Amino acid sequence: MSAWQSLPPRGGTLTEDPGTEEPRWDENAFGEQADDLSGYRRARRQARTRRLMTGTAGLAGLAIAWQIAATLAHSAFLPSAMQTIQTLIHYADRPYPSQGSPLWLDAVVSLRRIMLGFGIGVAIGVLLGAAMSATRIIRHLIDPLIEVLRPLPPLAFIPLFIIWFGIGEVPKEVLIVIGVAPIMAVTTVAALDQVPEDLRLCAMTLGATRIYTLIHVQVPSALPGIVTGMRISMAGAWTSIVAVELIAATNGVGYLIMQAGDYLNVGLAFSGIIVIALLGLSLDACLRGVAVFVDPSRRG
Amino acid sequence: MIKGVGKTFRRGSRRTVALAEVDLTVHAGELMCLLGPSGCGKSTLLRIVAGALQADEGSVTVGGRAVDGPSADRGMLFQTPMLFPWLTARNNVLFGPKAQRSAGLNERDDPELQAEADAILGTVGLARFGDAFPHELSGGMQHRAAFARAIITRPSLLAMDEPFGALDAITRVRMHDFLLQMREQYQTTIIFVTHDIEEAVLLGDRVAVMGGSPPSIREIFDIPLERPRHGADTDTTQFLTAKRRIRAALTGRAA
Repeated sequence: MSAWQSLPPRGGTLTEDPGTEEPRWDENAFGEQADDLSGYRRARRQARTRRLMTGTAGLAGLAIAWQIAATLAHSAFLPSAMQTIQTLIHYADRPYPSQGSPLWLDAVVSLRRIMLGFGIGVAIGVLLGAAMSATRIIRHLIDPLIEVLRPLPPLAFIPLFIIWFGIGEVPKEVLIVIGVAPIMAVTTVAALDQVPEDLRLCAMTLGATRIYTLIHVQVPSALPGIVTGMRISMAGAWTSIVAVELIAATNGVGYLIMQAGDYLNVGLAFSGIIVIALLGLSLDACLRGVAVFVDPSRRG
Repeated sequence: MIKGVGKTFRRGSRRTVALAEVDLTVHAGELMCLLGPSGCGKSTLLRIVAGALQADEGSVTVGGRAVDGPSADRGMLFQTPMLFPWLTARNNVLFGPKAQRSAGLNERDDPELQAEADAILGTVGLARFGDAFPHELSGGMQHRAAFARAIITRPSLLAMDEPFGALDAITRVRMHDFLLQMREQYQTTIIFVTHDIEEAVLLGDRVAVMGGSPPSIREIFDIPLERPRHGADTDTTQFLTAKRRIRAALTGRAA
């Protein structure tokens, strides 16, 4: 049938057609002022800058309040913001007398534990979630296990893990993994379940094969939800690692804070907390960057 | 094209006959409206034609070939635009050609596809919005982008499932104009599902009224309105006559 007379044959492009009389849909003919895209994006960028400035002002306000409170209290147990920063810089690259490593090395140790445990936990959780979403039997099998595990605070397992795995790196990684994996499994299942059936059908009516639809529709459609799960479980991972370092470790930021507390060095304890906050903030910023990358509607 | 199609949904021991003995021939280049109340099986029939559902009885052929699953030869448009939110308008339009290329159905390079996508975006009035993401487009613009995405693969049939049902009344009138203009230009065959009598009369060359128990096609009306039509032409005598006749068929009362 010749339903496509008005289009060039397959393989040709429309622009080769010099016929400028081809009718075009003219939105402005109907009185609608089509929005200017670049103007819209500029406005959103400005809104974001304002938001960031307000947020920074909030943090600055907190620092000022701290400074004032410390000055008024005038106590050795509440160093001022400035003193804490000085302590932080002082110990950044030289070891506290009671322990062998400088602050930056403890930060690296904690960060490495987080990255490793978080990476393994995310991998296990996403694979489990994908399997649960794809196969009903696996879902019904694993779902109760996760539901039992999820509300348990991972910290309750610390004594057991020390008995089973000793006080080396293994119990710390395992602890992070059992905190991260269930959250990732649940969020992955939810994200995959939320991919509309019609979105897949739509892809197939455009000529996509099943595999192509899986890679180019289901995965990108589920990614924003999965990244949100990563942000949630990342916060949990920090809780776990600092807790286990407070109790059973010989290095790491948690251990440093414990040491500083034992020697009543409040400034150093604060420094450790600030380092954790900064690391957590940076990692979350990275994940937020990923979230914006996979979900354009969050840009701006 | 559609011969004796039947469909029964089974849930446990409960069986629901969704369609019974539907016969319908849609001619090439025709715009056929399927009109009926909710639950009359019109969407089910459309999805069988699109290949999303399998008929239990009967057969569907498009251009002489039997339908067995979704294919790029039969495009589908939904009530929501179903654009891929992580792709720009241009990349949404390019989804079909690229998917087909990966399946080895064409060997066209990117610049060539881009040029065609931009040309079609221009045709649907989105020339300046190729780089926009779906959330940056208005509802009507999203529907036009979805139309561009469906038409670039040059399907011999477009199945439209209440595509403008969720739009506000003013945007809807504009989309009617848009669709009327696009079909004059592309001359593609369209099956258009709606529960709005006025929409069916305005758009359709013919209107198939569905309903009954078990659901089937009750009557088919020719719409003798001249083309090209315009969205505002809903108050002519011919229009109102056609509308009245179809309403009578739907409600079962005499005209």
